[in-house]
Amino acid sequence: MISRVKYPVWSATSWLIALALMTPIAVMFFSGIAANSDTFLHLWRTVLPDYVLNTVLLAVYVVVLVILFGVPSAALISLTNLKTRGVLRWLLLLPLAMPAYVIAYLYTDLFDYAGPIQRYLRALFSWQSPADYWFFDLRTLTGAAVMIALVLFPYVYMLTRTAFEYQDQQLVKAARSLGLSSRQCFFKVTLPLARPAIAISASFVLMETLADFATVQYFAVNTLTTAIYDTWLEYGELSTANALASILMVMVLLTVAAEYRARAHQRHQSKNKQTSKVRISLTTRQHIIGGIYCWFLVIAGFLLPFILLVDMAVQYFEQTSLAGLWHAGLNSLEVSIYVATVATLIAVLLGLYRRLSGVKNCAIPLQISGFGYAVPGTVLAMAMLATFGPLDHWLNDVAKWLEVPMPGLLLSGSLFAIIFALVTRFAAIANGTIASGLTKIPKSLDQAPASLGVSKWQSILTVHLPLLKSSIMVAWLLVFVEAMKELPAVLVLRPFNFDTLSTQVYQMISDERLEQGAIGALFIVLFGLLPIIVLNKKE
Amino acid sequence: MSEILKVQDLSVELQQKHILSDVNFSLYSGEILGLVGPSGCGKTTLLNAIAGFVDFTKGQVIIDGVTISSSHSVPAEKRNVGVIFQDYALFPHLTVKKNIAFGISKLAKQKQQQRIDELLTLLKLTEQEQQYPHQLSGGQQQRVAIARALAVRPSILLLDEPFSNIDTRLRNSLMIELRALLKSLNISAIFVTHNKDEVFSFADKIALIHQGNIIQYGTPRAVFDQPKSWHVADFLQIGSWLPITRNGDKISTALGEITTIENTNINEQQQVILVKPQYLTLSSAAPNCVVKHVSFTEQGYHYTLSSINQDDDLSFDELSFYSDTLLTIEQKISVILEPHEYQLFLKPCHQ
Repeated sequence: MISRVKYPVWSATSWLIALALMTPIAVMFFSGIAANSDTFLHLWRTVLPDYVLNTVLLAVYVVVLVILFGVPSAALISLTNLKTRGVLRWLLLLPLAMPAYVIAYLYTDLFDYAGPIQRYLRALFSWQSPADYWFFDLRTLTGAAVMIALVLFPYVYMLTRTAFEYQDQQLVKAARSLGLSSRQCFFKVTLPLARPAIAISASFVLMETLADFATVQYFAVNTLTTAIYDTWLEYGELSTANALASILMVMVLLTVAAEYRARAHQRHQSKNKQTSKVRISLTTRQHIIGGIYCWFLVIAGFLLPFILLVDMAVQYFEQTSLAGLWHAGLNSLEVSIYVATVATLIAVLLGLYRRLSGVKNCAIPLQISGFGYAVPGTVLAMAMLATFGPLDHWLNDVAKWLEVPMPGLLLSGSLFAIIFALVTRFAAIANGTIASGLTKIPKSLDQAPASLGVSKWQSILTVHLPLLKSSIMVAWLLVFVEAMKELPAVLVLRPFNFDTLSTQVYQMISDERLEQGAIGALFIVLFGLLPIIVLNKKE
Repeated sequence: MSEILKVQDLSVELQQKHILSDVNFSLYSGEILGLVGPSGCGKTTLLNAIAGFVDFTKGQVIIDGVTISSSHSVPAEKRNVGVIFQDYALFPHLTVKKNIAFGISKLAKQKQQQRIDELLTLLKLTEQEQQYPHQLSGGQQQRVAIARALAVRPSILLLDEPFSNIDTRLRNSLMIELRALLKSLNISAIFVTHNKDEVFSFADKIALIHQGNIIQYGTPRAVFDQPKSWHVADFLQIGSWLPITRNGDKISTALGEITTIENTNINEQQQVILVKPQYLTLSSAAPNCVVKHVSFTEQGYHYTLSSINQDDDLSFDELSFYSDTLLTIEQKISVILEPHEYQLFLKPCHQ
C-alpha cells in the first residue's frame, strides 16, 4: 500500500466540511419530498404542470440557441481563415460578463412599444397604433430564451473551440487522403469529434438556465425558480417552496446524470495540440456571412448592451444614489471577499488532502463539495432556510430556557446563510482551479521533501503552497466574481435592508428604473470581465 | 566494510497485488547496488519501500542500525535516506542554491553556507548557484538533485533511473562522473534501471528482480559469468539460446554434437544452452545457418542467424554472432561452437 499520511484531524476536517456543505441541500430535499402529499396534489392540479412545462421549454430553447450560436462561431474562429478572427476570438467571450436580466431589460427598453425602435418605425411609416403593424414581443418565453442564450452561448463557443483546436490533425489529413472534401471532413470528422465538448457545455448552459431567476421573473414567465421565489417570499409557504425546489433539484440531477452518462466512454480529444493546422479558406461571400454572424453575436451579446448601459449611466448620473451604490458595492465586496476566501481555503484543504493523504476514498470530500455548483441559487437559498431556520428556532429556545438574550435569526437571517450558500454554490470553481494547479506539480515533488528530512506540513508550506500561488489567486478571483454576480440566493437570503450590487440592480429592473442603477450594473459587467481576461491570459 | 542496509523478508502489496515477496539482501558502506529487471517487476517499489514512500506488509528494513518494520514504521523524513528521482524533482520556484539548502534549513546559517559551497564546488555548479531549474541542462539538473540529496548527509542514496532523462551521448560520461563521486564520498547507493549496460558499468553489485523476487544477487562479473536462470541471462542479454536434445550421453545441437555439460541431472524438454557470441566462429563446413539480419557495431558486423532446418526440435532463429567478414542477408554459412564450459537452462514454456 502507498504510505499514508496519518493526520486524522485533516481527514476528519475534510469530511466534515464536505458533509456540512451538502447537509442543507439534503435537509431541503428530504423535507421537500416528505412534504404533505396534499401540497403536491394541489400544486399538480394548479400551477405545477405549467411551471414544469415552461422550465423545460425554456431549457430546450436555450440549448438549441446556444448550439446555433456557439458551434458555428467556434468553427469559424478555429478552423477557417475568417478575417478579424484574432479579435473575434476573445470578443466572443465577452457576453459571459453580461447578466441576462440586464440585457433583458435593455432590449425590452429598446424594442418595446415605447422604445426608440418602434417609435422610429411609427414615425417613418406613419403608423398610429399597435393595430397598424406587427412587431415581435420580447417579453415572452422565447424572448427570455434568446436573452439567456445571448449571454450563455460563449460556454459552448469556448469549449467547442478548444475541442476543435485540440483535435488530432492526422485524423483530418487521413479523411482528406480518403477523398473527403473539407466540408465533408467538417461534418464527418471534426464535428463528431467535438460532440462531447458540445454536450458538456450545453449541459452546463442547461444548468445555468434552470438556475435563472431574474430574466424569467422580469419577463413574467413562470418557471420553477420564480415559483419557488414567489411561494416563499410572497406567500410565505416554506414547505411548498421546498417541494418545488426539490422538483427542480431532480431536474438538475437528471441533467447532470445524463451528461455524465453520455460522455462516460468518450475519449475524443487528443492531448497534443496541433498548431500546424491548415485553415479552411473562405470565399468572399462566406467571409461576409461568417463575419456578420460572429459580429452580430458580439454586438448583440455585449457591445450594444454595454454601450446602452454606459449611455444610461452617463445620462442619469445625477439621479443615481451614489450613497446607495456605495453601500451596495461595499456589501457586495464584503460578501464576495468572504465567499472567495472561504471557498479557496476549502479547495486548498480538500485538494491537498486528496493529493497527499493516499487514503482510500480521499477524493470523495472534494467530489461532494463540488456538487453545489449544479444546484440553482434559489434552491440553495431554500436549503439554507430549511436547515438554519429550525436551527435558529432551536437556539432561541435554548437561550430562552437558559434565560439569556435570544440571538434572533443568527444563522438564517444574517450574512452567514448567504456566505454558506455561495460557498456551496461556487466551491466547485475553486476546487477545479486548485485541482488543475495541483496536476501541474509533479508527484515526485510530494516525496522529495520527505527524502530531505522535511515534514509533510513543512513541505506544504515551502513547496506546494508557493507552487499553487497563481492557482490560488485565480481560484479566489473566479469565485469572487461569481459571488459578486450571484443574484437569486442573495435575494432570498439577504438580511433586512441589506443590498448588494446585484440585488440593487435587480430591484431597479423590477421597478422599471434601471437607468438609476446603470452604474451598479456596469460594475457587475466590469467585474465579470475579470475572469475572461484571466482565461484569455492563461491561453 | 560495515553493513549499512539490511532488507529481510520484505513483502509489499499494492491494491491487493503482491508486488514484492520476501526480498532479502544487504548493502555495505560505500557499495553501489544496481536493481535491474523488466518493467513492472517491483524494482521502483523496492526503492520506495526503503525510502518510506510505500508501506510494507511483511519483513523489515534496517537502515544504519534502525529497524523499520510493518509494525514499527518510521516516516520517510526520519529515515535519512536520500532520493534522486527520475525527473529529479527539483523545486521549480527555488534557485539552485535554495534547492540544495532545502533539507538543511535547521542548520546554522554559516554551516549551511559552508555545506552548500562545498557541494557547489564538488558538483561544478558554482556558476549556476542563482539559476532556476528550468535554466539548467539535463546534466546540470541531475547534479543539483545529487547535491541537494547529499546536503543532508544521507545514510544511503537511492537513485530511480537516474540516467533515463540524459542524452545517450552524455550518459556514459555522467555515469563515470557520478560513480567516482559516490566512491570518493564513500556513499552507499542503490539505483534502479532497466538498462543492462548501465548496471554493468555503474554497480558494484547487481540484484536482478523478477516478479517481485530477487532471482540473482552478486557482482556484475559473477552474474555475467554464471547466470542462475534463463530469466537472468535473457534479461541481461548475456548470449543467445541454442536448443539441445539428449539421447543417452549424446547431446545434439543444430551446430553439431557437444560433449560436456553442467547440470547434467536436468532431463526435461525445452532445454537450451547459453551461447555467448565469442564462442561462435565461421567455418568452411557445410552450411548450418542463414543470415537474417546484419548491423554494424564497434565490435564488427553483428549478425542474427537462424538454422537452415526450421522443422525440428533443434532449430533456432535468433543466434547472435559477431564477425569482421561481411556477409549478406539470406547467405547460408557454417558456424561452429567452440568447446567451453556449457551452461544449460530450462526455457520457460511461454517463451
